[in-house]
Amino acid sequence: MNVALSRRGAWVLRSFFALVVIFLYAPIAILVLFSFNDSQLPSFPLSGFTLHWYHQFLVNADLRSALETSAVVAAISSVGAVLLGVLASIALVRRRFRLKAPVSALLLSPLVIPYVVFGISLLLFFHAAGIPRSILTVVIGHIVISLPYTILVLMPRLQQIDVSLEEAAYDLGASRLRAFRSVTLPLLLPAVVSAYLIAFTTSFDEYAVASFVVGTRSTFPIFLYSALRFPNQLPQVLAVAVVVITVSLAVVVSAEVGRRMAERRLG
Amino acid sequence: MGRGQGVLSVPEAQARRRRLRLDFTTPVLLGLPLAWLAVFFLVPIAIVGAYSVGRLSLDPGPHTVTLAAWHDFLHSPIYLKLFWKSVKMSLIVSIVVVALAYPLAYYLALSGTKRKYVLLLLLIAPFLTSYLLRVLAWKVILGNQGVINSFLFSTGLRSPDHPISQLLYSRFAVMLVLGYIWLPFVALPIFVTLESLDRRLFEAATDLGASRWQTFRRVTLPLSLPGVIAGFLFVFIPTLGEFVTPSLVGGASGYMYGNQIVDLFGTGFPDWQTGSVLALFLLGVVALLTIVFSRFLQTREVTAG
Amino acid sequence: MAEGTDLFERRLGRDDFLKLAAVGAGAGLLAGPAKAAEAARARLLAESGRLQVLDWAGYGNDGGQAMFAAYVKKHPKNKPQFTYMTNESDALAKMHAGLKPDIFRPYVGWVKYFAQSGLVEPWNPKLIPSFKNLNPFMVKAGQYKGKQYGIPEDWGFDAVLYRTDKVHPKAKSWSLLFDERYKGRIAWFDDLNMLVIAGLLLHIPRPWHMTDAQLEKAQKFLISKKHVARMIWASETDMDNAFASGDIWIAYAWPNDWVQMKAKKLKVAYMRPKELPVAWVGMLMLGKGTPRRRLAHAYADAWSSVPSAKWLENNYGYGHANTKARPTSSDLLRALQLTNPKAVTEPNAHLDRDIPRRAVYARKWEEVKAS
Repeated sequence: MNVALSRRGAWVLRSFFALVVIFLYAPIAILVLFSFNDSQLPSFPLSGFTLHWYHQFLVNADLRSALETSAVVAAISSVGAVLLGVLASIALVRRRFRLKAPVSALLLSPLVIPYVVFGISLLLFFHAAGIPRSILTVVIGHIVISLPYTILVLMPRLQQIDVSLEEAAYDLGASRLRAFRSVTLPLLLPAVVSAYLIAFTTSFDEYAVASFVVGTRSTFPIFLYSALRFPNQLPQVLAVAVVVITVSLAVVVSAEVGRRMAERRLG
Repeated sequence: MGRGQGVLSVPEAQARRRRLRLDFTTPVLLGLPLAWLAVFFLVPIAIVGAYSVGRLSLDPGPHTVTLAAWHDFLHSPIYLKLFWKSVKMSLIVSIVVVALAYPLAYYLALSGTKRKYVLLLLLIAPFLTSYLLRVLAWKVILGNQGVINSFLFSTGLRSPDHPISQLLYSRFAVMLVLGYIWLPFVALPIFVTLESLDRRLFEAATDLGASRWQTFRRVTLPLSLPGVIAGFLFVFIPTLGEFVTPSLVGGASGYMYGNQIVDLFGTGFPDWQTGSVLALFLLGVVALLTIVFSRFLQTREVTAG
Repeated sequence: MAEGTDLFERRLGRDDFLKLAAVGAGAGLLAGPAKAAEAARARLLAESGRLQVLDWAGYGNDGGQAMFAAYVKKHPKNKPQFTYMTNESDALAKMHAGLKPDIFRPYVGWVKYFAQSGLVEPWNPKLIPSFKNLNPFMVKAGQYKGKQYGIPEDWGFDAVLYRTDKVHPKAKSWSLLFDERYKGRIAWFDDLNMLVIAGLLLHIPRPWHMTDAQLEKAQKFLISKKHVARMIWASETDMDNAFASGDIWIAYAWPNDWVQMKAKKLKVAYMRPKELPVAWVGMLMLGKGTPRRRLAHAYADAWSSVPSAKWLENNYGYGHANTKARPTSSDLLRALQLTNPKAVTEPNAHLDRDIPRRAVYARKWEEVKAS
């Protein structure tokens, strides 16, 4: 007998869960529905099936350029975030030092800063430093934002990795770097990949900070935001939305599944 | 190495050497991440502070350090009222979302379902897709000719002359959309806390004669409070500074504190000083909340599985 | 200085590289390596790249193509690349952020501001053949200190658009934007001009030159009425959509919005308030240090030509400064008083003009939005 839930209670909660899941996915389903709808305006009744909007957005040069820009920013900033995250995680997990609590608080603090404040602070910083806004400035901001996420993914995995494996390597005469490369890193790899993907999706989707520090090239969310204010482009935007959401769902799910499988296998 | 080492035994000596070697790699490891954050996170915030007191300014020319902008802000009827309005909206969203997320987390953690991680992933996945696109979906749904209304027309439940009009461009729209955005994410810390509860507590309570409901009220709920508070803060803090959703679905009445900050920086006649004051005030409130509730925001609450 | 940085900023497409290579190779075969280098460099320094245009929605590739079709035909390699501005403040913010448009379009009230700002340079009207047909009153309005900073193109009014089947105004007045009976169905414009409108309603004699006390009054009025506004629109298409779907019945709007709503078969009227509508004239301005000066002049000429003028009047319901153009519909002609060269100024309308204390107005307006 389940002491926390009666049979009826479980049934009620299960139905509630199902309802919430439907509520969460319904708007996404509606986007999918109207992306195939043959009409400028997304409203009922439906007007017939078409792939026109998908074709349209594929030939939209501005959109493609925005997607490219976002991909580049995400790729680079994620590398940075993962690198810094690995360094920080090793220090937090494997080393003992006095100021661990404030240091980890600082490292995780970008999680709690409202992005409007952070975006503005970067804007003012770059202005004061005379650094022109560009893709580089967005990358810098995104590394800060993604860093806590990478740490939160890497730390638990690092904790799981048996420290005695590393110590065995030291005892065998390996340098710290060698031990890391041959022992720790391979075991850490699933989490590294996972961290990279999380940083990537975070950066790719990030609008608020990017809107303050981007130069003249748009990232995809910035393009999207202005497209939302020009509703005559709406059907194309719906088509893009469906593609992006599908891809990111696929990436997230496979990343998580892959990570668990790999970690189970690696032990 | 060797016999003449003194009082330490060989393993102890090795351990001590290792610890000594350890000590200067820590700064090396932490140096880069901390430096990055110092330069691109702490310094910018300090610069906002400088702008807020006039130490730095958008206009060239001499400027004096003054607290006038802070004074105006605190004494203006407009800004604090706007802040309070945003606080109220965020509170409502956060409370509703936590109340909805709790049963979800409870079900996942305590019903004994075999597929809990799959279901958890199912729940969280939308959160990890595009924020703007999910707001767009609601714009499509809520308008006068949007999905809800046109559905009502086509089924005859409402006549096309009387759509439900207050769905879009309203405070309601902002709160609904923000709740929708954050609901998946809030279930996570609650789930983690519930999952980590020792099952034997439940058994003990039952053995002592408690009903399930009493067990919940006296055992589960209080013990899960850290996760609840963490979840509450996860949605309250970002929502407080929100500006994207209000600008897309809020209309005139859904305008929030974050929007004013953006407007003060984004127009052709930016007022960086006042904008900095508003931004720092928000940051201060958030920092205060974080510190006061910091024990609920410990890393272990957040790192799941 | 501008030349050098622009050379690096411009992204040479693959085509450009290939062509350069071809030119270089060809010239090299004929004239030796030194000459080849010269030729290639000369080609780079000639005006090239896409014309960077910062313009309002509807004037770019999102519907306004006819206005610059002649330009595109003559300069297919330098097709305009558009960034959109929601209003002049937004354009200013974008330029502060580093955007360097070759051309952008503020309106007549901002001529003096931009002329003094160092962000623009004067045009050379001799390079614009259609210039001589432009309305002399408007041409004068685009001048500052004798130099032609703005080329007048589109013109029209700010007035009140409303649904005749849902709204029964008590008077032909701006006060309809503040009518309690239609609370929640009204759209204001996100611009400090709302303060000017409030000034007009409160009978403040010179609403563009309000004193602090008068500004307080105007601001108080707006704040007290803010609850009737459902939307404060910055993007015209946002407002159009809300209007078309029935979310909004009354809006601060431009003639084109009237045309669009009529096309959607809505029963609408574009009201001429008794306090007089505000009139605007769009002024094309030339970005300072632009590397595409001649191309910009060609673009301005396309916009100023008679066929473009006729198209604008027929399709957008706006006037055009080219006096030789007449719309085909005489209804439109009468409604917009397109035969009256001084339609944009008193006693017909209040021509938008420079606001010396614009920064103060801007803050007051921000405060209205925050209330």
